[in-house]
Amino acid sequence: MDTLISTLLSGVVLGALYALMASGLSLVWTTLGVFNFAHGALMTIGAFVAWTVSEAVGLGLPAGVVAGVASAALLGVVVEYLLIRPFYGRPNMLLITVMTTLAGMIILEKGAQMIWGARLKQLPRLIDGEVSIFGAVISAHEALIIVVAPLILLALWQFTTRTYLGRSLRAVGQNQDAAALLGINVSFTFALAFGLGAALAGLTGVLLGGIRFITPSLGAEPLVKAMIVVIFGGLGSLGATVGAAFVIGLAEAFLVLTLGLYWTPFALFLGLIAVLIFRPNGLFGRV
Amino acid sequence: MTRASLLFGGLLVLAVIPLFVQDSYTRHLFILAFIYAVIASNWDLSLGYAGLFNFGHLVFFATGVYTVAIAAKTLGISPWLAIPMSGVTAAIAGLIVSAPVARLKGIYVVLVTFAFGQLVLQLILSQSHLTGGAEGMVRIPYLQIGDYKFISDFKLGYYYVALGLLIVSTLYLLWVTNSTFGKSLLAVRDNEDYARARGIWITRQRVLVLTLSAIFPGVAGGFFAAYLRVASPEVLSFGTLSLALSMVLIGGAGTIIGPIIAAFLLIFATEAMAGIRGMEDARFLIVAIGMILVLRFAPGGLAQLVRAPRKKP
Repeated sequence: MDTLISTLLSGVVLGALYALMASGLSLVWTTLGVFNFAHGALMTIGAFVAWTVSEAVGLGLPAGVVAGVASAALLGVVVEYLLIRPFYGRPNMLLITVMTTLAGMIILEKGAQMIWGARLKQLPRLIDGEVSIFGAVISAHEALIIVVAPLILLALWQFTTRTYLGRSLRAVGQNQDAAALLGINVSFTFALAFGLGAALAGLTGVLLGGIRFITPSLGAEPLVKAMIVVIFGGLGSLGATVGAAFVIGLAEAFLVLTLGLYWTPFALFLGLIAVLIFRPNGLFGRV
Repeated sequence: MTRASLLFGGLLVLAVIPLFVQDSYTRHLFILAFIYAVIASNWDLSLGYAGLFNFGHLVFFATGVYTVAIAAKTLGISPWLAIPMSGVTAAIAGLIVSAPVARLKGIYVVLVTFAFGQLVLQLILSQSHLTGGAEGMVRIPYLQIGDYKFISDFKLGYYYVALGLLIVSTLYLLWVTNSTFGKSLLAVRDNEDYARARGIWITRQRVLVLTLSAIFPGVAGGFFAAYLRVASPEVLSFGTLSLALSMVLIGGAGTIIGPIIAAFLLIFATEAMAGIRGMEDARFLIVAIGMILVLRFAPGGLAQLVRAPRKKP
């Protein structure tokens, strides 16, 4: 019973992290039609900046979190300006931006390695202590992730459905020309979507930095997992992405329990390819 | 005919280079360039000609590497037999990846082929009793005829085997791209609906192109394993992927010859930069910036700059 509950809990923690990560990818995809390979690297930068501000400079963790998220968001806007904007309107923009963001990922990752070095770093946990849930014990930091992630996703959902700016994101995603005719500033909306997505990546990085060591390749594995999530859920709606994130997180936790650490990624990818053979637009995706 | 004369001239130069270049390090760089040229130019077949974004292209190379590693070291098969075998296993890998890809479109092709690469990487890491896991395999049997080791005389044997491989691979690519099949690939790339209406079976084409573009990278991988005597999961890293991709893009997708030239330029440029202090990490960063600049200002790559600009792109 205890193993069952602790597996469930670790699955939910993973799911929450994947949801934060993948919702940023999904937001950029639905608005711009761009798949951002640099998403994981933005996450790494967020974690490194948070570490620098809070540990190396010594301004404390709250300042570090703010700086990490803000720097990721700012960098996201820069990535959009330099790597995406010049290619708008090219007939094969989708595939060109895959390559430019892949190059962006290499630049950010190698840049991080040159600035911060390859030595392992770790952020302190946001809150100390442990929490016991139904007899299974997890750290308070992980409990915080379980609580914070749904709140942020809820706020994001409210933002995209209730506010003018948020609605303009969706309007641009559906029809750029019509949105422009309605007086929406399309290029501002693109920058906003990229900045928001990157901020979510930065936040994931800060949260992950309290669990894992921060290295220049911190973002690579979560990026791959977020890709699994968006393929599985189908790129498109926030709800499907978040749902898929928790499905993948729980599946991963239970696969680790039953198949072991080595076979789990293999089983996940195999399942993913199987899903795509039968449902080319994702499990929850609409055709 | 300029392309043929360029090819022939380049070939002649490469064939006589060992007469002038005697040190084994420079020859090593040439061998690496030959191998990467095979990878990049075959990638151009699926990416440039068929417009199919196969981000799992290096899986074919890795399949070749591990085929020779396992066949020659674990099973004791002669590397001379194991290297052609790696072409067969890589073609099978191409056939496998084409199964999910044949029906997908746009970004999903990128995501699935990328996931396929990760799948194979995880398989290599998890099957450590077969593949050596993260540490890889060492001391793979090398190439020799009788008592003559190919590494002797400053890698002279390896140089000519690698050059021969590049020549055969390039002739093969020119044959494929100039055939009716190659022309039908262009038709599908440029106007899929029209091509379909003219009776081109697109699913069959995708399966074929992925299989055909897998063979020579597989053989090159097999040769790579016998040459370096190491097989490591590093071949499936982001770094290797972006290096090979930048060769295709900087050289010019859809030209075959462009990626080959870019392979030489990039191998020698990155190695030259590795020699400068503090540039070890920066070189991949510079290659990535170069890739973006080419996409931005010369979408046709170097091949476009050399050729006279056409009226209509």
